[in-house]
Amino acid sequence: MLTTENLARSFGGVFAVNDVSISVPKGELRGIIGPNGAGKSTLFNLISGHLAPTRGEITYVGRSLAGTAPHRRAREGVAIVFQGARLFHGMTALENVMVGAHARTSHGFASAALRLPGHRREERLIAERAKEALEQVGMSDFADVYAESLPLGQQRRLQVARALCGQPELLLLDEPASGLRLGERQILADLLRDLHEKGITMLLVEHDVSMVMSLADRITVLDLGTVIAEGTPDAVSRDPRVIAAYLGQESSDAASR
Amino acid sequence: MTGRLTSARLVGAGAAAVVAVVTALLPLFLDSSQLTVYTELLLSAVVTTGVSLLLGYAGQISLGHGGFYAAGAYTAALMATHGMPSLLGLACAPLVAGLLGLLVGMPLLRLRGHYLAFATLAFQLILLAVIGQQSSMGGDIGLSGIPALGIGSRHISDFRGYAWVAWLALVAVMILTRNIVRSRPGRGLRALATSEMAASSSGVPVGRYKLVVFSLSAAFAGLAGGIFAFFIAYVAPGSFGVLVSFQFVVMAVVGGLGTLWGPLVGAATITLLLQWLNDLGARPGMPDYAPQVFSYAVYALLLVLVVLFLPRGLVPAGTDALRLLARRRLARAQPGADAAGAADATGAGVEEPVPSPQRQ
Repeated sequence: MLTTENLARSFGGVFAVNDVSISVPKGELRGIIGPNGAGKSTLFNLISGHLAPTRGEITYVGRSLAGTAPHRRAREGVAIVFQGARLFHGMTALENVMVGAHARTSHGFASAALRLPGHRREERLIAERAKEALEQVGMSDFADVYAESLPLGQQRRLQVARALCGQPELLLLDEPASGLRLGERQILADLLRDLHEKGITMLLVEHDVSMVMSLADRITVLDLGTVIAEGTPDAVSRDPRVIAAYLGQESSDAASR
Repeated sequence: MTGRLTSARLVGAGAAAVVAVVTALLPLFLDSSQLTVYTELLLSAVVTTGVSLLLGYAGQISLGHGGFYAAGAYTAALMATHGMPSLLGLACAPLVAGLLGLLVGMPLLRLRGHYLAFATLAFQLILLAVIGQQSSMGGDIGLSGIPALGIGSRHISDFRGYAWVAWLALVAVMILTRNIVRSRPGRGLRALATSEMAASSSGVPVGRYKLVVFSLSAAFAGLAGGIFAFFIAYVAPGSFGVLVSFQFVVMAVVGGLGTLWGPLVGAATITLLLQWLNDLGARPGMPDYAPQVFSYAVYALLLVLVVLFLPRGLVPAGTDALRLLARRRLARAQPGADAAGAADATGAGVEEPVPSPQRQ
């Protein structure tokens, strides 16, 4: 479903992501872990189109994504839940989620301004889908609350709902659990498990290694912008290079690479 | 919840209808100098509605809308003085201004915040300088002898007619704005005002949306400019100085950004206050510079006061006060209902939610 080939991105000569080749089949929940500065967020920005790669290729459902703008990637089914909140201020929770429907709907300024017949139909569809998405993340009761006044855990789930409203096929989640309390983490983990069962392909970047271990089918480990290990959670957790990276040691093979 | 929401909507629609009828009948009771103020006020409200759509909903600033106002006025003036039907000139005014907005917006909308503000300001200065150099456009002296607006041999012969034309334009522009804001593209605009990154990843074509809304608000300004040209029957670069552009932004901020009624309230407040201060300054015994000092100082003072005490503008402050009053009355009538009212208040707004005016 998603393949990156020798993907690289440098900032002023320093590679944040270097020669990353991963391949995620449809329906998989792929965990991506790594210490701070491993290049996880950069990788996500490359896949969602907010950064252009210095080198390398991203292929999504058999098509190259080179030069495809972020909103077009959203229309192709790539959705992202950003680190932090990134909700739209001055809009209710429901309206925030409705924005996500942009990826799957089409009517524009003219039909809205003149209230053409197709407009009303599509608005109804958008509202319906947004309500479904809110329900899916368990937030129907907060539909009319301004998004910025929600607690962080709900803001995170609201972002997931916004992504779901666009009916994504590939969902990128950038540290969705960071800053959440234990109870909120549990709710989020259950939600992700639920989405996984529904067949949405997911890439999950997370600092909470135990959460990734319990959710992911396979895990890719990044360190200093390169893939240092990949495999099932069990295999990865026993990999000496991974242990070394997480303990902050400069192991000999990491240095000689 | 839904019951209250619809009742709030109903109250809003009723209030809108009352305002529409009263303002439509008002010209019948005004003398010609009052009609001039009325018409210019409404034309300002038309432009400010566009500025507010751009700034209040999409979060993009323009200090160059006086330029689009001028573009509309000159389009109408040039076409009418060259013997074309006046109605065609009026129809072309928003089109030309909108097209100019598209052309100007393409490069400029890559800028943000202060950079966009200064670039739009520069656009207006360049436009005025170019017009001043064109003898075919009347140069610095301007174009006079613009015929009256009309169809065939029937013409608008008095100020009252133009007052109603301005009224119609404002109603049209407000309906268009309302329809856009409460729709898919409107939500996209409000979204990109907070985060272009998150909006684009939700499928919002950020660049195109910014361009369309910029062009649309330029077209609103062009429409007002077209009416202005026929109304005054004379256009010159001097009528469209940069202060005019500042004025539109001040009106939008004072009235309340991100509200449908804010532009009208802001335009009315500023226009009437300026008028009053002007009269005050021109009274016998006042020094010669008094009117000027009053009119410049009041901008600054009012803007400072509003930003300090009513940062969201007059309309949101007013609706908040009304809501508070209604809730208190409800609480007094049935003790214990206060909590329910408070829970409802978040969603049951007559006005659109207000995005923060301070963004980067």
